[in-house]
Amino acid sequence: MQEFLQQLVGGLAIGGIFASLALALVLIYNAMGLVNFAQGEMAMLATFVAYALINRGMSYWIALPVTLVLAFGGGIVIQRVVIRPVEKAPILTLVIITLGLATLLNGLAGFIFGYVPRSFPSAFSAQTIDLLGVFISYRDLGVIGVSGLVLLAVYLLLQHTTVGLTLRAAAHHPEASRLLGVQVSWMLALGWGLAAAVGAVSGIMVAPILLLEPNMMQSIIIYAFAAAVLGGIESPIGAVVGGLIVGVTVNLAGAYLPFVGGDLQLAVGLAIIIVVLIIRPNGLFGRAAARRV
Amino acid sequence: MLQRIRRAPPRYWLVGVVVLFFIGFPTVISSFLASEWAQALILAIAIMGLNILVGYSGQLSLGHGAFMALGAYTSAILAHRFKMDLVATIPIAGLLTGMVGFVFGIPALRLSALYLALATFALAVVTPSLIKRPAELTGGVQGIILTQPDPPAFAQSAYGFLTGTAMTSDQWIYYICLFCALILLWFAWNLVRHRPGRAMRAIRDGEVAAAASGVNIAGYKTLAFGISAFYAGIAGALFALAAGFVSPDTFPVSLSIQLLVGAVVGGLASIPGPLLGAVFAYFLPIESSQWVPNQSWIPDQIASTVKNAGPAVTYGAILILIMIFAPNGIVGLLHRGYVALNRRLRGAADRETGQMPPNPQTV
Amino acid sequence: MALLELEEVRAGYGPTSVLHGISLEVPDGGVVSLLGANGAGKTTTLRAITGGVRWTGDIRFRGRSLRRMATEEIVRRGIAHVPEGRGICTELTVDENLRLGSHLRRDAPEVKKDYDRVFEYFPVLKQRRRLSASTLSGGEQQMLALARAFLMRPTLMLLDEPSLGLAPIIVRSIFEIIRSINETSQVAVLLVEQNARIALDLSMTAYVLEVGRVAVHGAAAELRGDDSVRRSYLGY
Repeated sequence: MQEFLQQLVGGLAIGGIFASLALALVLIYNAMGLVNFAQGEMAMLATFVAYALINRGMSYWIALPVTLVLAFGGGIVIQRVVIRPVEKAPILTLVIITLGLATLLNGLAGFIFGYVPRSFPSAFSAQTIDLLGVFISYRDLGVIGVSGLVLLAVYLLLQHTTVGLTLRAAAHHPEASRLLGVQVSWMLALGWGLAAAVGAVSGIMVAPILLLEPNMMQSIIIYAFAAAVLGGIESPIGAVVGGLIVGVTVNLAGAYLPFVGGDLQLAVGLAIIIVVLIIRPNGLFGRAAARRV
Repeated sequence: MLQRIRRAPPRYWLVGVVVLFFIGFPTVISSFLASEWAQALILAIAIMGLNILVGYSGQLSLGHGAFMALGAYTSAILAHRFKMDLVATIPIAGLLTGMVGFVFGIPALRLSALYLALATFALAVVTPSLIKRPAELTGGVQGIILTQPDPPAFAQSAYGFLTGTAMTSDQWIYYICLFCALILLWFAWNLVRHRPGRAMRAIRDGEVAAAASGVNIAGYKTLAFGISAFYAGIAGALFALAAGFVSPDTFPVSLSIQLLVGAVVGGLASIPGPLLGAVFAYFLPIESSQWVPNQSWIPDQIASTVKNAGPAVTYGAILILIMIFAPNGIVGLLHRGYVALNRRLRGAADRETGQMPPNPQTV
Repeated sequence: MALLELEEVRAGYGPTSVLHGISLEVPDGGVVSLLGANGAGKTTTLRAITGGVRWTGDIRFRGRSLRRMATEEIVRRGIAHVPEGRGICTELTVDENLRLGSHLRRDAPEVKKDYDRVFEYFPVLKQRRRLSASTLSGGEQQMLALARAFLMRPTLMLLDEPSLGLAPIIVRSIFEIIRSINETSQVAVLLVEQNARIALDLSMTAYVLEVGRVAVHGAAAELRGDDSVRRSYLGY
């Protein structure tokens, strides 16, 4: 029982990481109807930036917000330079552009930082505490806490501020918003910036566990896809719930299903995607969209 | 017969010249270069298959590397475990992969373009670990090593007669790949020209309208999946043949991306597109890191940065630029150039074509 | 100088030309109707004003040409446009839609007053504030669109077929409210309508469009009284 609870908590922690990246995906999907295949690489690059800052002597707790701000700016730049010229292009073109972006960012990270895995500090010690007979590490609690905070902050921003309102309006109703004076183009850029910052959090949380290297996020993004699909690709709440469910499922599957083991956990992620898409393509919180003829 | 040759449009002559060029190619280049071009032809076959799926029937797949892996491993296992002749395994691998692809096409019917892309992308990422698992069958992490065939007697004598040198194994493999490529390209060309092609294009451009016109949507979409998987399977089997071994790490997700990129850059919904795209996808990463530093007119800092940054950065950047400025690929560019030239030669007063219609609403 | 002036405006979609030289003007605080059959170019005219289609000629608002201005910028200068179909943000709540109307304004106390007015005009909006805008009926959505436009405190309102699909009793009340807005807040109105009768009741002047040109124009009272105009162009 004890081990089960430990695995559960571990699953929630890693689920928080998935949820952050999934939220970034959902934000961009809402803004432009496309899944950003480069989200993981953007998060990875941001984590490297944090690494560089910490290496130069900046304290972890200062480097973290600075990185988020830089990631935010980076997201805006990417939207303005790469995405805006092709805003109206068919979905295939956009998919390829994000794939090209992913390749470019991956190569860039390799170029600047090399491919040797590096250790990344965690804000929380690896010590465990005894909570009602279950051993939980500070690290897991910390990850759950930070992810929760970020998700809460995004929620508050989107639902309770004017900026959040105009962001949502621009994303879902661009034409109507224009007639209300909303600068839709800039709102989309803001959406990308926000997504980049949120994604950066997931990178920074996962780096201490996986070791920082350019290919670090390639499996995480699959889990994030699974979380987004499970939750409903347009629903931010779905991303959070989906992330937690995927995290727990994958962890438990790895621990308790002998044929899964450590290396096929990723296949569990794939299985979740396929099962959800077959049974209930709109996910838990999504809505069936009417087909335009 | 002679009349038909005389009346054939100039395009056909161009094709004939290109085919002859490829046949004669290995005689003037090194054996190593021939094996490189064999790889490009293999990619062209896989891309042609992907093109049928994406360009003609409008379904997106980011996971065709997985089908190639299936074809490659089928071929390798049949040859290694069941001692079949490696070349004979090629059509079997293709058919098996084609059937699997067809089955795949069934659940794919329910997915919108984006979800299909997601699901196939996930499949591509997971493929290496899926291969490693049944280690008994697939040789696990180490993979399977194959013996490449020597050129048979008739080929040796023909080659020796023409060039006076011995044919290497690599060159023989090149010819096998070329032969398969020609047959499959010809088959695709026919497919596209006749009913299946028209049906697929109708589906791509407006599924609801096509259904209302009586096109069997489910049938043609799954057929497209099956055929494109068949092509990928053949390509995979040829890959095993050309490389001499198969291992999980030869089929990473970047292969699937490479295939899609090749299809789009070459030009979707065209027959020459896949070949051009394959050349681009295969040779660009290799050449970009070598070509740029050698150009004297590029300043040193830029050249050395490009060289060090490696193929990935250049590849990604070029890809983005192409998508922004020439989204219809090379064939699209050529077509635009041809149209512009035509208009200039014939006088602008000719038919003023209206704006391109907006993109059809795909779900 | 009138508040809004259109001079020989031509506009179209791609190779198809819809407007073949429209000239009209809306005076400060005035109500002007744009009438005509389907396809005459009424909606296109409104879209040209707020930058939704490419046009040639000149369109001047407060003396300043609107050429090459982005829609957002034109709107920020004081033009509220309720489009065909109303443009309700169905993913948002009623309240959020209203807030979108007022989000650019800096004068909080005045905004509050305007909200009070809006809820006076449309009590149903107050009741359904927290609900998704998609739950509103057609008439209620029209009210929301109008309220939202009003909250922008515009100088000019462009209304595209406010009566479309609504029951006559609701149409009457909506037009009463438009009249009230125009009279108490001095908001000018350019009204596109197929229901010529009720439009002419409200307006000072009217233009009748036919196949992209102004066929008839003049004071609403005259057009109302002119039998031949009524029969040929207005259908009643």
